[in-house]
Formats: sequence, structure tokens, C-alpha cells
Amino acid sequence: MPLTLLECDVPIPEREKHTYIKKSGETIIPRCNAQTTPGDLTERGCTYAGCMGVVGGPVKDVIHLVHGPIGCAYYTWGGGRRQNLSDNTGFHRKYCFSTSMQEANIIFGGEKKLYNAILEAYERFPEVKGVFVYATCVIGLIGDDIDKVCKNASKEIGIPVIAFSCEGFRGVSQSLGHHIANDTIFEKIVGTKEPDYLTPYDINIIGDYNIQGDLWVINPLFEAMGLRIIGTFTGNASIDDIAMVHRAKLNVMHCQRSTPYICQLMEEKYNLPYMPVSLFGIEQTSKALRDVAAFFGLEEKAEKVIEEEVAKTLPEIEYYKEKLTGKRVFIYQGAPRAWHWIKLMEELGMEVIGAATTFGHSDDYEKIIERIGDGALVIDNPNSVELKEILIKYKPDLFISGLKEKFLSYKLGVPFVNGHSYERGPYAAYSGFVKFAKDMYTTINHPAWKLVEGRA
Amino acid sequence: MSQTKTKRSVTINPGMLCQPIGAMQAVLGVHAAIPLVHGSQGCAAYPMRMFNRHFAEPAEIALSSLGEDAAVFGGADNLVKGVHALTARRHPELIGVITTCLSETIGDDVDGILRKVDLPVSLVPMHTPSYVGSHVTGYDNAVKALVTHLAEQTGPNSKINVTVGLLDPGDIRELKSMLGMMRVKAIILTDITGAFDAPLILPRPSFPDGGTTVGEIRDTANSIGSIALSKHAGGAAVKYLEMKHKVPMIAGACPIGVENTDAFLDNVSELTGRPVPVELRQNRGRLIDAIIDVQFKVAQKKVAIFADPDVASGMARFVHELGMDPVIVATGTESKEFVKDVQAIASQTGHEIEIIPGCDLYELHEAIKRIGVDLLMGNTHGKVIAGDEKIAFARLGFPVYDRVGYQRIPIIGYNGGINLVDRIANAILDHADAA
Repeated sequence: MPLTLLECDVPIPEREKHTYIKKSGETIIPRCNAQTTPGDLTERGCTYAGCMGVVGGPVKDVIHLVHGPIGCAYYTWGGGRRQNLSDNTGFHRKYCFSTSMQEANIIFGGEKKLYNAILEAYERFPEVKGVFVYATCVIGLIGDDIDKVCKNASKEIGIPVIAFSCEGFRGVSQSLGHHIANDTIFEKIVGTKEPDYLTPYDINIIGDYNIQGDLWVINPLFEAMGLRIIGTFTGNASIDDIAMVHRAKLNVMHCQRSTPYICQLMEEKYNLPYMPVSLFGIEQTSKALRDVAAFFGLEEKAEKVIEEEVAKTLPEIEYYKEKLTGKRVFIYQGAPRAWHWIKLMEELGMEVIGAATTFGHSDDYEKIIERIGDGALVIDNPNSVELKEILIKYKPDLFISGLKEKFLSYKLGVPFVNGHSYERGPYAAYSGFVKFAKDMYTTINHPAWKLVEGRA
Repeated sequence: MSQTKTKRSVTINPGMLCQPIGAMQAVLGVHAAIPLVHGSQGCAAYPMRMFNRHFAEPAEIALSSLGEDAAVFGGADNLVKGVHALTARRHPELIGVITTCLSETIGDDVDGILRKVDLPVSLVPMHTPSYVGSHVTGYDNAVKALVTHLAEQTGPNSKINVTVGLLDPGDIRELKSMLGMMRVKAIILTDITGAFDAPLILPRPSFPDGGTTVGEIRDTANSIGSIALSKHAGGAAVKYLEMKHKVPMIAGACPIGVENTDAFLDNVSELTGRPVPVELRQNRGRLIDAIIDVQFKVAQKKVAIFADPDVASGMARFVHELGMDPVIVATGTESKEFVKDVQAIASQTGHEIEIIPGCDLYELHEAIKRIGVDLLMGNTHGKVIAGDEKIAFARLGFPVYDRVGYQRIPIIGYNGGINLVDRIANAILDHADAA
């Protein structure tokens, strides 16, 4: 009985295929990357969210113009000071651009409005280096030729204008949006510029979105080893840097759900190899640095960096390990962090009693199941009803998920850390691990939990 | 008195959201009700996140999960499966089926599809294509759909109906307090205090306590009268109740500030025959006391107000009462009614007001640069304008998520007015200190 049906899923038996209890020796992967059941109280986002919100949006020096009714643009505006940080704060994420399609545009088409909108936006922000145009659901239905409009507009204003056909109804989750963004950026941007000079030690960091400044603790580690970073994809990225990434010697790939596509495309076209890494926790970060160092013959330098960083962080990690050992955690993330973090929790002596992803594919679940302990629950695309049942039944000491689940967790009396946009991050690499551990310790031991009426 | 509206194809920093989120808020104010969005996944996930951020509360939103097949063949199957699955699993008393640009463009006959569904739950179709109106009209449509589908005449009930619009839980608590002091029984459409200001007490109930019950919505046809606090968001419902069920309606100004609250309480009095009690007159006196106390801190300051139409026009009159100068009054929603309301305030008070309906924050920013302003009032997104122009900033409206607690602090009624006096004066003082 490896697959299991939660009580709340009795009326929706197909959910059983998505819900697995780990048992060693089996090779079962829960059903995943499938259409959400109608009527579900889903936590998933759409293809547009994956394309614009995750991969495209962090590019810091282009106009992100959302072609559709106003909501889709509004919802991806800003993100506060916490997400996708960039050093272009005077423009990036400060402005939100939309064609705000009205009924007449839906009837008669929105191509003219889009063309005018691109020109008007550029006229007001002539310092930008490009325009990204994102199609939302209704654009696919009315059949606007956004590629043609973008080509014409690009001719007119003399900078790249890139069309992303990321209508929300395509695909089953954010995941297809990542793929569309990868393909589009590869096809239309990568290889369009050349670096001033090359070194034998040029790399790219692919698949990190600089959540609360992750890249600002990751990049210095590689730079200290003597490597030069040509481009990041796409945290704090300039479109010009992305245009030159094909000249690196190695792609270091962090998010292995949203960016293997562009890594594979670069490998095929430019013979540029890629190396998947985990940059969370001491063990995995050290392994990543060693693996990359071995590629370049920089082992000695890597050992020096690792030694210094571990000396700085280990005492604090030991402190939190003592406090957190034995605590039971349920991790629900987009996809890769659910398995990146299983090892990290082990370093802190914590037990991962369950793992879930919003849009994981079978390779994500393979990695989760390989790493997670027997008896742990592995569930694909859980909805709020299932999450509630899991939190009540399994009573984890800690739930790590995103904003949409945060207040549900609080309301059920379960300590919570936001793993999507973090609490007091960044959480990556060595110094980030200490912050992550501190946040976990803080919520688990918060004095107010003891005051909650009815909480055992 | 002037009126501007820039004709641009690009919207930069929008002043409105789309219709579905307004409808979702209306449904979440009904007890044991769940909105089911007939659209793609972002149409549920994004509004959910917006509610989470503004209210610091969970929000339960279901989805019919339209994919590529539905875009080609229609979404009827998804919708029917969806309401069945949701009912079997959550046993809600009401499902508000909320359309989107996707389902409206596909052309699904949602009303027809739902008529054929036989389930022990009230199914209320709400037409909210994202390419029409704004979150404000979405809310308006949703509340109207609730009474259209549910209200039935069964015999007088001695209550009044009050539609609140897109106000916060704090405002609804203040509304209930005022009506309680007047010993007036009311049906509040819809009451989000249950869903969006819930206590942390375990075990958590299956549905949050509170909220307007389906029975109360049915009973709205029997009330002695209706008042819309926000005529743009709830006005359509009270109009419908008057036309269909002869429930007399009043849709005046949003009760922000002294005179607007006076008028609201007079209206309640007129409908119910209940006098305004001494406690409320004392609160009125406290508000005026607070206004007089801060006069030299705020008088003659030029204010730009940016909010949903009824809150913006309500605030315009209130800042006049504070001795301030409302130089810009803007809203993201297109509305002739809004323009008329603010024009009336301008002519009654003698202020020169730039009125901007259908405004985005780029246009607002340009107007602020042109006219010169001391204080901006608006949602979280106004912060960057205030920062760029180095002017004072007092938060107001939806969404506010860069500071905590605003959803709990009422702005309506005399007590809400006192909160606003403090907020405005302190914003000006903080700004002076920082300079």
C-alpha cells in the first residue's frame, strides 16, 4: 500500500496517485506534472507566473510589459524589498507595465494597442535595454500576433523587444512558463553579444533568482576561487549579460526545475557543459564548490574558501543543531528546494516527515524519494484541504512553504518559515544557512505558541 | 475644478485590479462560502496571495482549472466536475462561481451549466470578465449576484441591509459597533471579519466563524431599507433590492469624516426610526476635538488622495474638514459618478480639485509633480511616489502590505475619523522629522 488516500480526498480518489508513503526498495513515483483536478483548492500558479514572475521578471534593465487585462500585471508588481533583489532599484520592480486590455480590444484585437504601449513605455524610460512582452490567457484566444508586433516595435525603437507566449492556460502549472522563458531567452537573446574579453575561468550561475540576495552570498564564493561570473540567470541579471552567457566555460545550475532547458540548449549549440549543484547547507555548498573547482583545476583555492567559510559558520550551526535536533519538518516547495533541503535538515539533526512540490516533475520526485526517510509522506501539488489534514494529522514541529500557506499554518498552530521568499534571508550557501537555521529555531520556539488556546 | 484623463495605451503602475478579485472578496464575506474561479491557475493563486498579504490571513479559493483543452472545447466539464468535487470535499453552503477573461472569452454559458447541476449548495454565477471594469465593479457584480439569486420575500424582518464594499474588517467592526449603539439590527453584505480577522484558537473550525449567512442574504428582500456605504461596490445590489423587492435604498457618501458619518447615521435613523444615541454624539465630539487639536499641524497642507472611488471621495470631504486642501482626488476605476461626487465636494467647499478617474500611478505621479503636494494618501504602491517627491505619505485602501495592521484599523465612522486624524497628522510630523 505505498500510494495512499488522505481522508479529505475520499471524494476525489484520483488524488491517491499523487500521494505516496516512502518505502525503501520500491520504485514508485507519485503522479505529477498533471492537470490540477477541477474544483481543487490549488496552491499552484499559471504558465504566465512561471514565465514572467519567476524567470523573466528578475531581469533588471528591461520593461516587463504584460499584454492582457490589468490583473496579471498587478499581481506580479513589486514583490517588496524581499524578492528577486537587484541593484537597479530605481527602475526594476518599481514599475509595472500593462496594456490593460478592455472589452473593445478583446473584440477587435490588441495588436495596435500593444505596439503603441511598447513605444509609449520606451519613450518614458529610454534608458532600458530591452522590452519583454508577456501574453496572458486572453491573448492566446483572440490570436494577437505578438511576435510580429514585437519585431516591428524593435525596428522602431532599436532595442530588443521579446515576445513570450506564456498564456496562463497553457500547461499544467508554472513549470511550462519556465520552459517557455528558457526557450525564448535562448533563442532571442543568448549569443547576441560578445564579452570584451574571455578568461579560462568564466562561469554562469544559472537558475538563481537572488531571493533576498542569495546571489550576493553565492557569487563571492566562486569569485574567491578565481572564477569570473559572466552572467546570472536571471537574478539581478542585465539583458546584456544574458546575451553573452554562451561564452562561459561552465554553467553552474542551481534551480534544476526552471533552468535545465537553457543549460541543455547551450550545451547543444555552444558545447558549453553544465553542472547541477545544491547551494544550501554546509555539506552541499562545499560539495558544489569542490565539483566546480575540479572542473577548472582550482581545488586548492576551493579548499581555502571552504575552510574559511566553514570555520565562520560551523560554530553557529552547531548551536542551532543542538536546539533543532529531532524536530520534525514538512517541506512544501515549488520543486527542487524540497530535495535540496532534505540534506540541509539532516545537517541540523532534523527529520523530514514529508515533502511536497507545486510543480515538480518525476526527476524531482526521484530525488526526494531517494533522500527522504521511510514512512515519510511525499505528495504532489497538495491543496489547502490536504495541507490542513497533513498539518493536523502529522503535527510537524515546522512547516516550510510559501506565503499562500503561511497563514493557514499559523492558524493551525504550526510554526512556519517561508521558503519561497524567506523570512530574514538570504538562506543560500554558508552564511545563509545560519540565517535559515536561526529562523527555524525562532518560529519553533516562539513564546506565543504556548499561549494559543487549545494547542497541546 | 478640472478633470484630466490621459489617453495612453500603456498603463504604468496600475490603480486597479481586475474584476475577479473583487468578487472573491465578496464571496469570502459569506459564511461557509467558497469562491470557485472559472479560469486558469493564476486567477486563483494570485488573488489568494494578495489577500494573504493585505489581511495576513489564509484564503480558501477553488479553481475549475481551465487548461488548453478547455480553451478549445469549452470549460463546461471542468465547471461541473469542479462544483461537484468542491461540494463533496468541503460541504460549503454557497459557491460563488466567478468568471474570468478566459472563461468569458471562451464563451461558456455558466448560468446554463450551473442550472443543470443538482447539489445541496447555493450556486451563484458571477460574471466578472477581467477586461471590463475593475476589482470595484467585480465586487459590485458579485454582491448583486448574491441578492439576485438568493433574496426572496417571506415577510418583514425589521432589519436594514448594509452593503459595505471593499472596506476592511476593522471598518465592519466599527459599523457593527455604531449600529449596535443605535440598537439597529442589520444584514451586512458581506461580512469579511470572519474570514479575514479570525482569532488563533484551536481547533480551527471547518469554516471561519462569522460572515453573512446564506439565510441572511435570502432575508435581504424583507428588510426595511438598504444602505450602500460604497455606492460603486454594493450599489448595484441595493438598487436591485429596491426595484425587485421594494426595499428602499440609500447610496450616499462613504461615512468617512464628520459630515459623511452624520449623514450615514441620519439615514439609519430615518429608515429605522431609531435616534442617534448619546454615545455616538460623544464619539462625534471626540473626533471634532481631535481635528481641532491638530489644526496647526495639518491646516492648508495640500493632499493627493488615491483610493477606490467611494473611499477617495469620502476622504476628500474629510480632509476639507481638517482644514487641508484636497488638490488631487484620483481613483483607478473609471466612473462618471465618482467625478460628479468629487465635483460636488469641490463646488460646496470651494477647493480647486484635480479629479482623475481611471488613473494609474504614473499619471498620479505626474499630477503631483505638476501641482505640488504635501501629503499623499494611498495604498502601499504610493510609497515610491512619496519617496521620489519627498512628501509625507499616509497609507489608505487596498492593498497595504508594507506595514502591518491597517486592515484592523477602521477609517469609517467617528472613531475611524479619529484614527485618520492621527494617521494624517503623524505622517506629516514623521516626514518633518525625517527631513
